[in-house]
Amino acid sequence: MTRATYKLNQLQHYYADKRVLDIDTLQIQKGSITGLTGPNGSGKSTLLKIMAFALKPTAGEVWFNGRREVPLSPRVRSRVTLLTQKPYLLKRSVFDNIAYGLKIRRDRDNLENRIKEALESVGLSYNGFAHRQWHELSGGEAQRVAMAARLILKPEVLLLDEPVASVDTKSAGQIRRASLAARKDWGCTLVIASHDLPWLYECSDTQISIANGRLFSTGKEHIIPPPYDLSQKKDPVKWLGTKGKGEYILLPPREKTDGFAVIQQEKIRICREKEKETKDNQITGEITSMLMEKRTQHIMTTLQAKDFSLNISFSPDQAAALKLLPGKRLILMFHSRDIEWR
Amino acid sequence: MHGKKLVSSLLAGVFLLVLATYSLAGDKGLMMATTTSTDNTGLLEYLIPHFEQETGIALKWTATGTGKALKLGQNCDVDVLLVHAPPAEKAYIEKGYGKDRQEVMYNDFVIIGPESDPAGIKGKSISDALAAVKSKTAPFMSRGDDSGTNKKEKLLWKGAGIPLPDTESWYVQTGQGMLATITIAQEKKGYTMTDRGTYIKYQDSQGGNAPLKVLVEGDKILLNQYSVLTLDPANCPKAKYDLALKYSDWMASASAQKLIGDFRLLGQKLFIPNAK
Amino acid sequence: MDFIVAGFIRAIELLINFDHSTYTAVSATLQASTCSMLISLGAGLPCGFLLGYFNFKGKRPLRTVLDTLLALPTVSVGLLVYAFISSQGPLGQFGLLFTLTGIAIGQTILAFPIVTAITASIVENIDPELKLTLVSLGAGKKNIIMTCLWEVRYGLLAAAVTAYGRVLTEVGISMMVGGNIKYHTRTITTAIALETNKGMFADGIALGIVLIGIAFAVNISLSFLRKQ
Repeated sequence: MTRATYKLNQLQHYYADKRVLDIDTLQIQKGSITGLTGPNGSGKSTLLKIMAFALKPTAGEVWFNGRREVPLSPRVRSRVTLLTQKPYLLKRSVFDNIAYGLKIRRDRDNLENRIKEALESVGLSYNGFAHRQWHELSGGEAQRVAMAARLILKPEVLLLDEPVASVDTKSAGQIRRASLAARKDWGCTLVIASHDLPWLYECSDTQISIANGRLFSTGKEHIIPPPYDLSQKKDPVKWLGTKGKGEYILLPPREKTDGFAVIQQEKIRICREKEKETKDNQITGEITSMLMEKRTQHIMTTLQAKDFSLNISFSPDQAAALKLLPGKRLILMFHSRDIEWR
Repeated sequence: MHGKKLVSSLLAGVFLLVLATYSLAGDKGLMMATTTSTDNTGLLEYLIPHFEQETGIALKWTATGTGKALKLGQNCDVDVLLVHAPPAEKAYIEKGYGKDRQEVMYNDFVIIGPESDPAGIKGKSISDALAAVKSKTAPFMSRGDDSGTNKKEKLLWKGAGIPLPDTESWYVQTGQGMLATITIAQEKKGYTMTDRGTYIKYQDSQGGNAPLKVLVEGDKILLNQYSVLTLDPANCPKAKYDLALKYSDWMASASAQKLIGDFRLLGQKLFIPNAK
Repeated sequence: MDFIVAGFIRAIELLINFDHSTYTAVSATLQASTCSMLISLGAGLPCGFLLGYFNFKGKRPLRTVLDTLLALPTVSVGLLVYAFISSQGPLGQFGLLFTLTGIAIGQTILAFPIVTAITASIVENIDPELKLTLVSLGAGKKNIIMTCLWEVRYGLLAAAVTAYGRVLTEVGISMMVGGNIKYHTRTITTAIALETNKGMFADGIALGIVLIGIAFAVNISLSFLRKQ
């Protein structure tokens, strides 16, 4: 039995003529924590806005709690809430900012105490902050107030778009703590877009990557990023480093005018040394980070080969066998015919 | 915080007070259109309260140029006219806009100019004076606004046998009221034709010693006849014809005529009552 | 030049002596301008909001027309209103000519495009984050509109002040529609025009000072209401 909070089908979104989202299907389970990673401009924010029902997608369906929903639907209002990267408050006091969501649904019981609670959950004192005006706060404090304003509504879903990118360390910690507490206290579903990989891997159940509007499963497949050298049509090449020199990846011919090169994790062999007689691509990757995955206890390792970056999940045994250590170099081998264009 | 509340309530209070005194009152009195030169003498301010007291009729008036006053009457926007353009008035009645015409008073027009009198018109007859202005191409200011005064001025050129110097550079058409035109004449040290009433006021405003002096006066043609015109009910059925007649009769009555004769401006008699 | 100094002195004289004609002119000005401002704000704010918030066919040409109306000469508006409310005009039977109501109507026509155009610009430039935030906090359509307007209240105040300035200082409409009738429809601006035309420059300056004084008082109290 699926308890999917979200089901997205055939979702497409365009800004003018430019396609920014192209998602076949996506499901988010109730009470889960999903991490969303991707470069800037990949469509992360657009996806979150659509999931927050603040934006109507050009095409496709968004199902919430088993029903197809649209922006401003009453079943969605104040159940789904979005926190954006830039701290934004209404031009009024901290107290009024936090009370806003409750006031408009006429929920004024015990207002002062609830606001006090909300402030404390983000580490701000009621006496010190409740009466401050919106312009009397630092960026981090403002973001924390924005968080409190959403938490007080006890939403079913909390969407966070780079919530701590623009704030100081202390505020960042408070916000992280508060979001996890939401999940613990009332089973809030979290979807967090962030560049903070350690945090994501530490707390999230699943991770999704997004690039050019399309979703990729982190850890299962890898994007070989552009630019590509398409001068030889039959033998396109991805140069790692200077064009014409150094390591390169041979790619299969590309039919469409655009698209990304993608290789499945299972098609990559990892060795300690290069082989002499082989037609496979062989590239050197340096281990730049190793993080413990909370759920699986696997080790999420990032290998970097110039601008080609891979996140591979190793079991503790594999890690031991390969003697994985940060800074170590490994050889990645894969044949060009296993590379797909998407 | 309290200062803000105080100021907002003060503002609100002022606005409410202003609105409270505001009324969409209908007009129960008489509405008159007259000319700016008449109004500017201050005669009406002095005279009309007597009318209101003696007859109990409220009178409001708007002062514009003669042309517009006549137009207002034609459009039935007013009930009665007090103007000084006899030929236009007579034509008005013929066209069916006006009904009764009651001559009530007159003053005269004068030609004024700089004391130095570059065109040498002092003491001449009106025709000779205008001819001299033209031959010396001395600056001459005209109201150029089809007012009663302007109509009179055009008549003078016609009477002198000179075609209206419309496009001549020395003939300046100001398109404004009498005092404004006199002011421009003073600036440019030129000549102009004005009614004596406005001239006296001009003198007064200059502290009694104005740079422009009266140079030509007395010609019969310079008489400035004021009349009250009622509007023809056939054209304006809604105009208050009865009240207008009462006003007309009152202006011709002995008491009003005496008041008109007693009116002084700077110690000088301004209007001569001549109702028959 | 000395009439300017004389004007200052005369202004104080007029005010201290409670000169009846001056005070009635002030009252007439305030009545007509307040009435026209209330109506043009009441109609202009919502219209401006709709124009700025929604996208629809014909939005740009409508906007262009509106912006052009910002340059209406007051005498032309006065003439237009006269044509309608004159005895010969379609609204003649209401007897609006030579009344403050007539002036207020003309001034409303003057102020409405100003309020609408500025409000539309303000609404168009509302931070998109605002709408996102409101949706996140569970606001429905009505709340979104009301809160958006409240958030940009200082900009809207500026629109009102701009329109008020134009209305307070116009002569063309007051003169043409009001008739400059002493104690009744003589406003400060028509009184200034009259005194100046009569050559009474000092009186003209004095009344001008009174007018600026009023505008100053209104603006000061409004600035009190603003944040720093």
